[in-house]
Amino acid sequence: MREAMIEAGGLVRTFGEDRAVDGVDLQVAAGEVHAIVGLNGAGKTTLMRMLLGMLRPTAGTARLDGAEVATAGPGVWRRVGCMIEAQFVYPELTVRENLRGAALLHGLPRDGIGPEVDRVIGEFLLGRWEHKRARTLSLGNKQRLGLAAALLHRPSILILDEPSNALDPAGVVFVRDLLRDAAADGAAVLVSSHHLDQLARVADRITVLHRGVIVGDLDPGGTDLEERFFSEVYEADRVRAARATGAA
Amino acid sequence: MRRALAFEFSKMRKSLVVAVTTALIVVLVPGLCLGFVVIAERGGTGVMALKAQAMVSGEGWEAYLGLLGQMTAITLFIGPGVVAAWAFGREHADGTFPSLFAMPVDRGTVAAAKFVVLAAWGAALTALLLAATVLVGIVGGVGPMGDIDLATTLARMGLVGVLTALLALTVGYAASVGRGYLPAFGALILLTIAAQVAVLFGTGGWFPYAAPGLYAVAGSEEGIDVHAVQLLLVPLLALAVAWATVRWWRTAEVV
Repeated sequence: MREAMIEAGGLVRTFGEDRAVDGVDLQVAAGEVHAIVGLNGAGKTTLMRMLLGMLRPTAGTARLDGAEVATAGPGVWRRVGCMIEAQFVYPELTVRENLRGAALLHGLPRDGIGPEVDRVIGEFLLGRWEHKRARTLSLGNKQRLGLAAALLHRPSILILDEPSNALDPAGVVFVRDLLRDAAADGAAVLVSSHHLDQLARVADRITVLHRGVIVGDLDPGGTDLEERFFSEVYEADRVRAARATGAA
Repeated sequence: MRRALAFEFSKMRKSLVVAVTTALIVVLVPGLCLGFVVIAERGGTGVMALKAQAMVSGEGWEAYLGLLGQMTAITLFIGPGVVAAWAFGREHADGTFPSLFAMPVDRGTVAAAKFVVLAAWGAALTALLLAATVLVGIVGGVGPMGDIDLATTLARMGLVGVLTALLALTVGYAASVGRGYLPAFGALILLTIAAQVAVLFGTGGWFPYAAPGLYAVAGSEEGIDVHAVQLLLVPLLALAVAWATVRWWRTAEVV
């Protein structure tokens, strides 16, 4: 078993009475694409936020490359790329200026910023808009810019929430290739999406999260993913309802 | 810090809010003051003339600079306050705040860089306003210089401008904690009113949000005196609020 680069140990996060994430254990190794699927409000984003230090866990531990997220220093964060709902897109800046800003904050060496920005502008097909202000971009191109900003420093830990949102079919295929290439280069990739068929083509493992709890796995190579997903979710609901009735 | 400074500077440089605020203050304030002085000196009993006469005391450069001193204390609070509200509130309103997590340059450093860039802009804005004041006065033919010591008066205006601009940055805390522009605009209005009330009750010198404004007129109006200690409270308060803001940015969660 390869060493886990992304690790959740009994992670819990509550918002008042609501247990948004309820004891999640999860590991992602280098070179692996681990997908999380779940209905809206399942806890996918909350889980990812805790793994990135955006939320403090109520209980449990979050680790990146062996380091506690709560106390992780610049050396750890330099190796992390992420996009959770919000993109690193400042509307008054051009595409190139946004990427330059992301490169600065990601800690790229100053002499490497220009070449890396050139590279991602080419790779993410943003050349036509590189001198346009980001406010003029379409939703899909803003998503591309956000992804480029998250990836331009070649992170070895990648956490992406719904990266295919707003992208056209070509963009969806592009993201799929992007994730596979990142994993092939040795990155640990944790990704969430609603598109089961897309995830099946890229993920090594698919975990089903429902009401903050891991309720099962899906075999990416299997058939009828959608049907199996819903059967796991409904079974979890049935067990929960039975427990509630028993407790009452 | 230098990386965060470079990025914050690039955002300020391209911001329409900053450009419009700078232009309005540098062009409009001396122009308006000149206009009021001209109207007041022409005399008459029209509404504008009576209002101008009530605002202006003395004549020529003394009247012009006296009015500008008062206007500086107001406009260099509201203008930089709006820009500070934008600089801190936009990260929440535009949804970019979460994208500043998980980076080697931490959010506290980004917030500190915002303060440094805003303070530098506030100082530059004050310098531009002083230059525009002299230029508009000369080109507009304000009139006799009289006994006025131009260098001392401008230095006093400069100090008022810088102190006031520093104070305005404190609304960045409201924009951060309130996660948007509106709480900062609310704070700006409340602090302006509180300063007026403090002056009315005769305690304005000890209220940092009123002290620079009082200092602006202390030389020309009897019964008003502001001590160095009272003025020293202004940067101390600004530093304390900046520290609290940086701390908030360092520890805040994404909600």
